[in-house]
Amino acid sequence: MIQRHLVIAFTLFCLAGADAASTLLKPREPASESAGNNSVIRVNSTNQAYDFFRPWMKKAPFSRRGLGVLIEGGRILVTAELVANNSFIELEKATTAEKSSATVERVDYDANLAILRPVDPAFIAGMKPLELDRGVRVGDRATILQLEPNGEIAQTPGTVTSITVGGYPLDGMGLLLFRIGAPMQQRDGSFTLPAVRDGRLLGLLMRYDARSQTADLISTPVIEHFLKEAAKKTYGGFARAGLSFSATRDPQLRRFIGLNEPGGVYVTDVLAGSPAGKAGLRKGDVILAVDGRALDQDGNYDDPDFGRISFSHLTNTVFHPGDRVVFKVFRGGKVEELPVVLEARDRSKILSESYVVDRAPRFVILGGLVFLELSRPYLQEWGGEWVKNAPQRLVFYDAFQNELPADRGKVVFLAQILPTQDTLGYEDLENLVVSKVNGRPIKSLDDLAEAAKFPVNGFQKIELEEDPGVIFLDAAKVEAGRDALIRQYALPSLQQL
Amino acid sequence: MAKILFAKAGVLPTLGAMFRLVFLAWAVLAVSSVHAAPVASSLVRIEATSQDPNYKAPWNAGEVTGGVGAGFTIGGNRIITNAHVVSNARFLTVSKEGDPKPYQARVLFIAHDCDLAMLTVDEPGFFQGMSALELGGIPAIESTVSVYGYPIGGTRLSVTRGIVSRIDFQPYSHSGMDSHLTIQIDAAINPGNSGGPVMQDGKVVGVAFQGYSGDVAQNVGYMIPTPVVRRFLKDVEDGHYDRYVDLGLTYRNLFNPAARKALGVPDSDSGVLIGSVFGGGASDGLVLPGDVLMAIDGLPVASDATIPMDGDSVALAEVVERKFKGDKVRLNLIRDGKPLEVTVPLNEPWPFNLHSNAYNEKPRFVVFGGLIFQPADRNFMSAYDPDDLRLRYTFDFFIEDKIFRDRPEIVVLSGILADPVNAYAGEFRFAIVDEINGKKIQRLADVAKAFSEPSEYYVIKMAGGGRPIVLERKAVEEARGRIAARYRVTREQNLEK
Repeated sequence: MIQRHLVIAFTLFCLAGADAASTLLKPREPASESAGNNSVIRVNSTNQAYDFFRPWMKKAPFSRRGLGVLIEGGRILVTAELVANNSFIELEKATTAEKSSATVERVDYDANLAILRPVDPAFIAGMKPLELDRGVRVGDRATILQLEPNGEIAQTPGTVTSITVGGYPLDGMGLLLFRIGAPMQQRDGSFTLPAVRDGRLLGLLMRYDARSQTADLISTPVIEHFLKEAAKKTYGGFARAGLSFSATRDPQLRRFIGLNEPGGVYVTDVLAGSPAGKAGLRKGDVILAVDGRALDQDGNYDDPDFGRISFSHLTNTVFHPGDRVVFKVFRGGKVEELPVVLEARDRSKILSESYVVDRAPRFVILGGLVFLELSRPYLQEWGGEWVKNAPQRLVFYDAFQNELPADRGKVVFLAQILPTQDTLGYEDLENLVVSKVNGRPIKSLDDLAEAAKFPVNGFQKIELEEDPGVIFLDAAKVEAGRDALIRQYALPSLQQL
Repeated sequence: MAKILFAKAGVLPTLGAMFRLVFLAWAVLAVSSVHAAPVASSLVRIEATSQDPNYKAPWNAGEVTGGVGAGFTIGGNRIITNAHVVSNARFLTVSKEGDPKPYQARVLFIAHDCDLAMLTVDEPGFFQGMSALELGGIPAIESTVSVYGYPIGGTRLSVTRGIVSRIDFQPYSHSGMDSHLTIQIDAAINPGNSGGPVMQDGKVVGVAFQGYSGDVAQNVGYMIPTPVVRRFLKDVEDGHYDRYVDLGLTYRNLFNPAARKALGVPDSDSGVLIGSVFGGGASDGLVLPGDVLMAIDGLPVASDATIPMDGDSVALAEVVERKFKGDKVRLNLIRDGKPLEVTVPLNEPWPFNLHSNAYNEKPRFVVFGGLIFQPADRNFMSAYDPDDLRLRYTFDFFIEDKIFRDRPEIVVLSGILADPVNAYAGEFRFAIVDEINGKKIQRLADVAKAFSEPSEYYVIKMAGGGRPIVLERKAVEEARGRIAARYRVTREQNLEK
């Protein structure tokens, strides 16, 4: 499931990229939606991402604009992408261009949703919150709202063409989305556009493909789940069962495993320590039903509202972390029922995170040697073709992280050299995975910072998984050169943990 | 295999030197006009009809292509040319200046790792009237040379002139894996020049062999210098070409004072650090990563990986370059601060061949139930250029991560001849075959064997998990004739190169 969604995320990212390149000039439909001005507000977010090549620096600020939706409690709902790595968020009234600032109250990058709270509650006085539209079906009409430069609301009618589980941005987690066919105009402020129907919120647009004229919306069930979790004392997020599966359409496979049931999916991998792993699911099991709902050969169940959709909608959105869901499993000719207690993923345990936002990347600089922990944003610094262009061993670590031993820890690597007298002869070393420092195994940058306190025979000995295998620094010189190094390369500090 | 490429100290021509250069050019012009006649009587134009194997339809014979190159006689009815001129040749003719008749030729020896080949013509009288060229030494930097050949398809001899720009180790693109001494000249070398002699003072100083395509660099051509040609001639004296030998290790500079001290290297400017030692290579078990190489065959190794040889400072690899299979090389090492001498019997480490372009080989494959299985070697990867990450990792890190120990051949499901029997196997294209019916697949032959054993089901498991592909014997048998006829599969397997 994880890998499958990764692939989906890729293709969709590409599509999303396409809309920026082309401009559409379509006749505008006459205004018809009354939700208009009174419930939406322009949100300008000035964001600044960290530079993963130089993790002590932020990149140049850039600004994203979107149209937030007022929800009950005087809060504003936007996509998480709009405010990712924000330094400053500003609310702007569409008609009067009055401005006031806001802060992020809750954000979930898996679900791509954020709740903003205006610093001055009076700023939104008189605005009317939107309610969620819970009855969306394929074929329904909806209206996507955009803001004209003059503050008028532009409305683009569209039709819900499909309701499916697909990859969300950033992590690629598969969540329910509404796909709408709508011929939209290219306007600035395209991060977060609300879609409404009869004065109710149907979803938030998260990407638009100009060629096929389809928009993907964060669906109401996902928004509802997010709001419910946000209302809790402890935000629980979206759970993952922690397994991947494959269809059982091949009759030869079905006969071989003796599967006579009409449906079911073949479990291809179970993550150690995941809810599915703890419940005892195993590779080779066939999941027949989840929460009493029978699965077809592709893993879809019959949802009363949305039709045939993937059972992962049940485990990540219908149910919440802490809920117990029964998996009916066919194993070795017998049918068993395994209760799975759902959990959201503990992000601190992820070997290579798919996104790192709103926090500085960790680093340690030792005598000009810059050490980092592997994360996908680092690899993505190589641009759109990063899978081919980024250092291949690191790409493979990221891609196959689920196959590594559970106690592998983080992948700490020597990212680059800031040349000094101490690094003579090492200038060309880059992106080499560290195995040990001063004889101590390295599973995190904390390990490395600690190990560096114990030089051996006056040397910092850094062992690498690849050529050249080992490098040494003079521990006393490294210590004595700290201030000079900071001055030479204008570093704010030599570590950030 | 030297990882470090170092630039020779460049000599900037002073004004005086530039004047001298002009005179030199005149002088050489006079000399070459004297020698033009003998060169023409030694030169042959080679026309090759080749058949390049088709890895995507491996049962087919392959496409027939043609090419033109040059060659020259060296006495004893021998013609020297490039290996790439006569690779995969099915029919060869040579013609000499002033004789309109093409003569059939055949390859005596071919050395893909140094791009040289030796041909002969059986027809009596062909060599009569031809004069053998003599091999010279290494021409001096800035000296003028003349290149003879048939560039851009012409049938008449063409001569271009240039100066020697650089003498260095360079990759040989024919095998894609080997680096040898190479001389760079500023004469244009174009297709058709390949295999032609580069002359100075009436002697051959090199064999023209590669250049850059237009947009990379202008006026840069490369020739194979005579030490490489002489080595080839000596290697084949016993009637067989054995290929180059290799130490099977990597090393890098040892400039860093802390590293020198930590490794116990006397504080002079000597020694290089051994990075990795390839399993199965010549040095496996004799040299360890972290050793410092101080001398090779008694020649002191400088910290930039050079040795003094023939009054010059050359790459330390040059010692091994001049050796042959079965020869020994003496290494003086420092291990754990203590001196140590080891003698390495040289061989050609086989795993490297996987990364070399191979020629004159038939693609190996097995077709079963419409599934095509092939071993992934360089030819295979060039033909398919697969994006599959696991396959790319396994191929790229085959040597470095010692994958060859478990998997001497990377057997891949390379294609699917679509048929009802394999209707659900599409998602496994480019997956690596791990097991068939519980037996580990280490070589293509294992696949053929597993499918030849009677079984009701054939269960194929791929590396990295996923569901198995299940083929029922009955279904495969029913499909056999159908697939062979529909796709014109003339052979179901070829296990021989």
